[in-house]
Amino acid sequence: MSVIEATEITKVYKRGREEVHAIRGVSLSIDSSEFVAIVGPSGAGKTALMNIIGCLDTPTNGTLTIDGIRVTGRTERELVRMRRGTIGFVFQQFFLIPTLTARENIGLPLIFNRRKADDWKIDDILDQVGLSDRASHYPHELSGGEMQRVAIGRALVTRPKILLADEPTGNLDTGNSDLIFHLLQGLNREGLTILMVTHNPGLARRAGRVVSLKDGLIEHDMPPPGCPI
Amino acid sequence: MNLLSFAVKNLKRRKSRTLLTMAGVVIAVAVLFSLLSISSGYEQQLTREMDSLGFHLLAVPKGCPYEAASLIIHGGVFPKYLSGEDLARVKAMEGVDFASPLLLHQIVKNSTPHIIYGIDPNDITGLKPSWKVSGRYFESWETRVMVVGKILAEREDLGVGSVLPFGPDQESFTIVGVLERTGGEDDNFHFIPLSEAQRVFGKENRITAIAVRVHDIRRIAEISRDLETIPDVQVITMAQVAGTIMNLVGSARTLLYTVIVIAICISGGGIINSLLMSVNERTREFGMLKAIGASGLDIGFLVLYETLIITTLGGILGIVVAVIVSGFIEGFVRNAIPYAPSGSLFSFEPALVLIALVFSIVLGLICGIYPAIRSGRLSPMETIREGFL
Ligand SMILES: Nc1ncnc2c1ncn2[C@@H]1O[C@H](COP(=O)(O)OP(=O)(O)O)[C@@H](O)[C@H]1O
Ligand SMILES: [Mg+2]
Repeated sequence: MSVIEATEITKVYKRGREEVHAIRGVSLSIDSSEFVAIVGPSGAGKTALMNIIGCLDTPTNGTLTIDGIRVTGRTERELVRMRRGTIGFVFQQFFLIPTLTARENIGLPLIFNRRKADDWKIDDILDQVGLSDRASHYPHELSGGEMQRVAIGRALVTRPKILLADEPTGNLDTGNSDLIFHLLQGLNREGLTILMVTHNPGLARRAGRVVSLKDGLIEHDMPPPGCPI
Repeated sequence: MNLLSFAVKNLKRRKSRTLLTMAGVVIAVAVLFSLLSISSGYEQQLTREMDSLGFHLLAVPKGCPYEAASLIIHGGVFPKYLSGEDLARVKAMEGVDFASPLLLHQIVKNSTPHIIYGIDPNDITGLKPSWKVSGRYFESWETRVMVVGKILAEREDLGVGSVLPFGPDQESFTIVGVLERTGGEDDNFHFIPLSEAQRVFGKENRITAIAVRVHDIRRIAEISRDLETIPDVQVITMAQVAGTIMNLVGSARTLLYTVIVIAICISGGGIINSLLMSVNERTREFGMLKAIGASGLDIGFLVLYETLIITTLGGILGIVVAVIVSGFIEGFVRNAIPYAPSGSLFSFEPALVLIALVFSIVLGLICGIYPAIRSGRLSPMETIREGFL
């Protein structure tokens, strides 16, 4: 069953009088529990697509259905609800709040969900991302890999169905990149649908499916080479 | 953790800016609070002085009401006089309970002005019901006797039994009584029998003013009108006196309010400016917050909470500062206004504390609303992108 269904999505940005066609017609169907790597050169429209799928931005044309709900044409309120409940976001630059501990950063989305941050729940997440012993550390006391794991924990705390990761390993060394990828693979095996933008061909190859974008269009959409269909 | 405690943590992140912004609020609220307190204390003192007078209106010679008013409260020279006949007519007027003649005179000794009040010895308790005297008052048959106000007595080192060379002929007057502190101008005056004042200063049969107590205070306006049918007489009620003085103070007060407004504008501008700075710095972060589930309203409230915390804490501190430096401010104001009552001008009132606090909160709301709306409206992905460019 497809959890993301994008049909003929286009996105035009206006930069002054100039129009930038970031996405020119992308159709994509992603099933529950898939692990999709999105690759492509810089400026191909990868981030634009992630933002649209993540309900952070709306497409200029086309329709998008997330988890069975058609999100195109919905109000901002409903998009907010979608971001709160169904989608988790991870960024290249982690975006942690420096004055909050790892535990507090992970609990941050619950503020907006108007949910009480159950300690045991966050303990679970800390355990899941392997940071149980770093719970009360502040971001500046953590390594890059640890910071990204906090960010992943933060994306997981609302128990989303879909995790969108835009170059999550872009700021990390090979060792830490592998660790993060492992973590994501583990989450995927437990049923989480993952879309990950990456420039790292080695990592992309290990995903279940690779979508390559170029100039706002899908160039290839296939299982990685060497993987039996 | 909730939105409010998150706001607190955000403020702690930019400590020096937070403190600087708060300092602006502290100054604005301190200025506002002390000026309001002084203004209110001033009116209270004035009312108290009016109340301590045992009469409701004053019949004075026709002339400038400002002069008359300041004369009565402050002392001073008044070149016109009423006569004994006028007094008789006032006394005969229907509705007048009590009328007592006064003669005021001013002399300058060692370049200090002295105010002398000639009053009818029989009317002292009627005119000045609140007075308490150590020693005694003078009797109507006595000559060369005097009662002095407390401050005057202390300044000139006078006590009951002291003998004071007094008047143009330096006659020896004996102090028979020293008033206990009244908190009013009476503390600075000399009081002698009316007949003695008229004799010493050569004003036989002359009266500066007639103090009148009416039977029914509700009929004051009517009685004033009747009294003014006497030629040469104009009436000022004590409410008018107070009003006249308040008008005199009015111009000074306008200045004070200007100071308040300027202080508020400066601090308001500072708050908005520093808020916009802290908001602009955090656009990417706000984008991230939206990505993890914050709505525009959440972000707006976050910014608003931050502002309100700054202004509310600043307001409380401002009140504390105002109370601490009240003495200094009072001295400044005393010099700036034409007539200052002798008591403390600074009155610490809960209602004013409330006003100052409400003001701080409103200041926060006004200053915070624009930055809040602005950050709430930021489109999440543009804000995140901004960081890369
Ligand atoms: N908010 C925007 N305003 C204008 N142009 C944009 C905006 N966002 C993206 N673009 C443009 O759209 C194209 C695709 O951008 P993006 O999706 O960020 O590429 P990628 O993530 O693949 O590197 C680029 O040419 C970029 O300059
Ligand atoms: Mg990108």
